[in-house]
Amino acid sequence: MLEKVRNPNIDTSKKVIYIRGLRKAFDENVILKGVDLDLYKGENLVVLGRSGTGKSVLIKIISGLLSADTGEVNVLGQDVCCITRKELDALRLKIGFSFQNSALYDSMTVKENLEFPLVRHSKHMTEQERDKLIDTVLDAVGLRQSINQMPAELSGGQRKRIGIARTLILRPEIMLYDEPTAGLDPITCIEINNLINEVQERFNTSSIIITHDLTCARAVGDRVAMLLDGEFKREGTFDEVFDTNDKRVQAFYNYNFID
Amino acid sequence: MFLELARVYAFIARFWREVFFPPYEFKEIIKQCYEVGVRSLPLISVTGFIIGIVFTNQSRPSLQDFGATSLLPALISVAIIRAIGPLVTAIIASGRVGSSIGAELGSMRVTEQIDAMEVSATNPYKFLVVSRVLATTLMIPALTMYTTLVSLLGGYLNVHQFEQTTIVTFFYQVFDAITFLDIIASSVKSVLFGFTIGMVGCYKGYYSSKGTEGVGKAANTSVVTAMFLLFVEELIVMQVINAIRGI
Amino acid sequence: MSTEDNKRSVIVGIFVFLAIVILVTGIFTLAGQQKRFINTITLQAVFDDVGGLKPGNNVWFSGVKIGTVKAIDLFGESQVLVTIGIEERAQQFIHENAIARISSESFIGNKNIVIEGGTQEASLVEDGDRIRAVNPIDTDELMETLQVNNRNLAAITTDLRQLTNNLLEGEGTVGALLTDEGLANDFQATLNNLQQASQNTIGATRELSRFTSKLNTPGGLANEVLTDTTAFSQVKRSLAQLEQATTSAATLTENLQEVSGRLNNENNAVNVLLSDEEFARNLQSTLQNLETSTQKFDENMEALQSNFLFRGFFRRRAKEEARQREAELERLEEQREEVQ
Repeated sequence: MLEKVRNPNIDTSKKVIYIRGLRKAFDENVILKGVDLDLYKGENLVVLGRSGTGKSVLIKIISGLLSADTGEVNVLGQDVCCITRKELDALRLKIGFSFQNSALYDSMTVKENLEFPLVRHSKHMTEQERDKLIDTVLDAVGLRQSINQMPAELSGGQRKRIGIARTLILRPEIMLYDEPTAGLDPITCIEINNLINEVQERFNTSSIIITHDLTCARAVGDRVAMLLDGEFKREGTFDEVFDTNDKRVQAFYNYNFID
Repeated sequence: MFLELARVYAFIARFWREVFFPPYEFKEIIKQCYEVGVRSLPLISVTGFIIGIVFTNQSRPSLQDFGATSLLPALISVAIIRAIGPLVTAIIASGRVGSSIGAELGSMRVTEQIDAMEVSATNPYKFLVVSRVLATTLMIPALTMYTTLVSLLGGYLNVHQFEQTTIVTFFYQVFDAITFLDIIASSVKSVLFGFTIGMVGCYKGYYSSKGTEGVGKAANTSVVTAMFLLFVEELIVMQVINAIRGI
Repeated sequence: MSTEDNKRSVIVGIFVFLAIVILVTGIFTLAGQQKRFINTITLQAVFDDVGGLKPGNNVWFSGVKIGTVKAIDLFGESQVLVTIGIEERAQQFIHENAIARISSESFIGNKNIVIEGGTQEASLVEDGDRIRAVNPIDTDELMETLQVNNRNLAAITTDLRQLTNNLLEGEGTVGALLTDEGLANDFQATLNNLQQASQNTIGATRELSRFTSKLNTPGGLANEVLTDTTAFSQVKRSLAQLEQATTSAATLTENLQEVSGRLNNENNAVNVLLSDEEFARNLQSTLQNLETSTQKFDENMEALQSNFLFRGFFRRRAKEEARQREAELERLEEQREEVQ
């Protein structure tokens, strides 16, 4: 199993995300009870947890897709809950969000998908510059040949890469990955894990990776946090997190490597 | 129920807030206009033509009893221009366009494409909803013009076959039977119909529930709701126009 | 911006353009046809009753549409002031002594105003002039007259039938009477009366035929009849009486024919009378008149039959006759079976 080599560029003096006492409930159902989280610059933080523990809710709150009930959510120095629509949009340009199902726009080609955020936010850019940038990110994910294909023609792994490429094109400072390896075969999983690490090095991003896949967690996480009962119960390196007597944490580990 | 109404209200209000302010998604609007208008034209033309023929043919016997088949063009004119043209166009469009908008937005919601737009700092409402509602609001009236013309031609074909009326006489009688109010009312009505079809489809798709089932439901309910609303609007507009005509 | 997008924009552009062309053509045709943008002058006319005329109804002059009704207002005690707008180009043909009449465009169509008459001597109408109005004929009155005619006709024919019956039955008496010169004169006088009566009948039927022809012309009368159930039942009653009258007339002519047959018989004493040329002529013309009168009746009935309003009535009658014939046939059949 691949072990993550800790990124030497991590700057623990700079917190790009700072969350304190985050609480979120849907009707009666309390998902997040009081989450505290710090993301340091250049760091890959893996959030582990079973389905329905509110991992996705957490990153949706960070990107402003959902709003917190109480608590402070500070991203790049701005409180997400209390900024205007315009400020939020500006902030979102600095956050890349890779969705679980890639969320490629089905009605557009790969090129149009990549152009979509570009034409709206980099209006000064000429067509040549745009094309060059598209080539760069496609090279980064290794799918230059797919430029004129429709998303429906791509495999799951390819879709995921294009999804990541689309977020990279705006040069984000923070990357949020929602289940990057879900539904992929083991080899593709490894490719995606490598891609996540490459992105971290090449674009110097800070990332939160949501997953329940321990292989992935071990391969990409500089730090791992385990979400249980709406709180971070365990935090540290991969080995530190699972060095515990907590039965549920043990169970999570065992079931993952049952084969 | 009231929450739903409030959400509908907010959804429609958002359209009016966003439609007038930049950025304008021209490319997407043109694309949707193409989908809604141009691509629906063959279907709607053929349907309109057939309805013109059938309606004329079925109206003939009752006029024949009075020996008044010469009034047929006037009857067709009033029926097609006032009611059938706008309504048939809207119903076919809601079946073809409304359901596809509902399904498309529904699947975009389910596969998080709408969220993806949101996080890439693109206003998905503007890109998806405003462009589609604008397209239906502009294209349904245009389609109605075509349907009305083609239906009248269908009616003419049938009248010509049985009464040997010339096209000049036919259209003279057609225009003799209607007034400016009829044309204005029909235009206003078709704009309203277009807006309704677009809004309903977008609303149902935009707030579609998760899962593939949600997509099907969004497509289905957008057609059913839109058609129901079309008839309600038809009734209301008819009453309003009658009130105006009465003055 | 690919070429695909540009192509699409162009197609959408053409699509919208053509739709607008259709709309604009429609509007201009409508405007042109309904003379929306042509200068008009207004005229007024005061009617007692406009019979459902509405603003927007057409105004005709010599069969040409020259304007529309602008406004209808109550006026004076119970009159109606109708304001009409007329195209300027029609002004030079309408003189001040022209009259306005309410008419109908078709059986079930709208009411309209027809301007007619006017002579060269009178000066041309000016904007705002008031022209004379002729009030439409009241249908009820017409019906009343028709019914009186019918009643008279029936009475006359009944009398005639009685007379000829008597003549027929009292063969011997007639023979005896005819030998008497005074009586012969009386008979001649009777025949003269008969002639008079049949002439009256012709007059009445002519009246009737005029009425029915009016029914046939596409005009307000039929329309009134259609909407007025009282009038319709009156017409039905008139028809029943007419039928009775024709039956009577037919019997009468048969009788007369029989009489004349006998008269022609040489052995008959009456033959003597035939030497009187004048008498023969009278008799002949009487018969002719009667024949014409029955013919006229037939025509009237036919005319009425062709009128759609009475179609139902005649259809019913035809059915009844058919039923009777059938019953007759059945009876005959039964009789035949009994015989066998």
